[in-house]
Amino acid sequence: MSEITLQGLEKRYGETTAVEEVSIDIDDGELLCLLGPSGSGKSTTLRMLAGLETPTEGEIRIGNTDVTDQPAYERNTSTVFQDWALFPHKTVLENVAFGLKMRGVSTDERHERARAMLERVQMASHEEDDPTNLSGGQKQRVALARSLAVNPDVLLLDEPLSNLDKRLREDMQIELREIHEDLEETFVHVTHDQDEAFTLADRIGIMNEGELIQVGEPDEVYENPKNRFIEGFLGDTNFIDGEVARASEDAVHVETGLGSEIVLPAEREPAVTEGTELTLSLRPETLSIDGSTTSGSEHERPMMADGSAMNAVVGTVENVLYRGSTVRCSVSVGGESVFVERSAGNTETLTAGDEIRIEWNGADVLAFHADGERVTF
Amino acid sequence: MTSNLHRETVEAVAFRAGYLTLFALMLLPLLVVIATSFSAGSRIAFPPDGLSLVWYGEFFQSRRWLEAFTNSLVVGVGTAVVATGLGVMGAFGQELDDGSLGTILAPLVLVPLLIPPVILGITLLMYFNEVGLRGSYWTIILAHTLWATPLVYFVMRSVFSRFDWQQLDAAHDLGAGPIQSFVHVVLPNVKHGVFVGALLAFIISLQEFVMALFLSTASTQTIPVLAWTEIRQALDPMVSVVSTFLILISLGALVLAVIATNLEWVSKQLS
Repeated sequence: MSEITLQGLEKRYGETTAVEEVSIDIDDGELLCLLGPSGSGKSTTLRMLAGLETPTEGEIRIGNTDVTDQPAYERNTSTVFQDWALFPHKTVLENVAFGLKMRGVSTDERHERARAMLERVQMASHEEDDPTNLSGGQKQRVALARSLAVNPDVLLLDEPLSNLDKRLREDMQIELREIHEDLEETFVHVTHDQDEAFTLADRIGIMNEGELIQVGEPDEVYENPKNRFIEGFLGDTNFIDGEVARASEDAVHVETGLGSEIVLPAEREPAVTEGTELTLSLRPETLSIDGSTTSGSEHERPMMADGSAMNAVVGTVENVLYRGSTVRCSVSVGGESVFVERSAGNTETLTAGDEIRIEWNGADVLAFHADGERVTF
Repeated sequence: MTSNLHRETVEAVAFRAGYLTLFALMLLPLLVVIATSFSAGSRIAFPPDGLSLVWYGEFFQSRRWLEAFTNSLVVGVGTAVVATGLGVMGAFGQELDDGSLGTILAPLVLVPLLIPPVILGITLLMYFNEVGLRGSYWTIILAHTLWATPLVYFVMRSVFSRFDWQQLDAAHDLGAGPIQSFVHVVLPNVKHGVFVGALLAFIISLQEFVMALFLSTASTQTIPVLAWTEIRQALDPMVSVVSTFLILISLGALVLAVIATNLEWVSKQLS
């Protein structure tokens, strides 16, 4: 059993706090991604799990054993490092067999197990190679084999894919996912790449400025972010500042720079009053665009019977950006600039200067207080 | 353009010529020493009066010189071992934990190099008499270690600064304890530096005279000390023979160092 419990984990270097009060339970066999920008404390948290850093405060338990004060070499965790940290003076096979050698496994046995691991990561033909002559992707595979060879309770991955090019990185994500399903071991994967986290994770823990802000399944954190930081970090969105004009039991009307009130449906008496400053998030995938600007009924009856609230604004296309599979247009609406996306296959081409109508359901709009906390209605 | 190029060539040639002249002037005395060692006469003279190996024969006949030779080797090897151990550990420890002790370590290690050897010699003589080590090889080894350790330490500081410390993390992470990870991961990466440091320590010890003069006894006399005593009595070519051996040993050490640091590179080029 190798479930992990972090309890009030903290790491301070003099005056600076790298990790602040991180508490989380990681299930046995789970793949948890710690996601955050650089400097958010995710790597420090991982290094404390590995035993390479000593926490200033708090407790780490792996499989019901308190390992807080155990040095790295006594813990049965194994890390794949960002730069892979292969031993340059040893062959690929010796690198993979190193952990077993330190555990006193006989030469024949450890070489046999190392070969099996190299087989698994498709590097069997490179066993006699000097690791310094391998490509990044090959080094990454050897590093993974080396960490798996010791049969760790927990595999820790410290952004091991960040130095690979996009294509290789996506292949490796799928391979990692398969290896995880095969082994049923607990993986903790640190990354700053949200696509990688969404591809790999059973659950995602989002960190910022040393704090673990939210932990949840990928769709849950994406659809239900706890604060504005997460909403902005997990994908592109339009943040529109506004002020509450009217709040009633079934809807909140927000005055924004878009020129018309945005109506958000409410399920209960809203916790905002007239004048409350809010930031609204309009994700491009919730915005639908329409070339015709004729319909002018948007102010008349925005509330639908099912509780949704259709909103619509008219704006002018400022520029069109081809991004491969999607086309991104920035649209000037009132005083604000909003970007929308449509798939590149769409035959209707948009050019700068076109007038378009943007529609969305008010229920898809997330609202945040000025301090970043999420507001639900 | 052509004249410019021409001028640059002239300057380069002039620079090389001057450089080589200086180099030759500095090396010439060594050649004189080697030449006089082949003298057939009974006093040092250049050019030597007749060539022969008679003084080399004398050297291998002389118990005193052979003993001094052995003493120098014992002290040199001893110094290399102790100074390398201390220097490597000091530099390694400072990389692991550069705390307040680390900041005073570098200047502290340098202190022995700044004290005149005469003063060190006298002080150490009194000190070793006090602790009852007089007449032991250890007195000279420890004295030479005071000089050799800073050199090894600074060589290792620069070697460790190029070491990828994540490898040490990886070794710990894979279950290697402090000693295992040092032996299996750190040492193979820095072995050339350790070897060069040890050779430096050995050569420092081999040529050191002043402290050895104070600290040695008749049975622990090193080559420079015996050479000094002999020269004061008679200036015979034996001193040249001994000097030739010292020059050869230093050159040999240098060649070894070059081979040690480049062998891997050479083998990579060949494969």
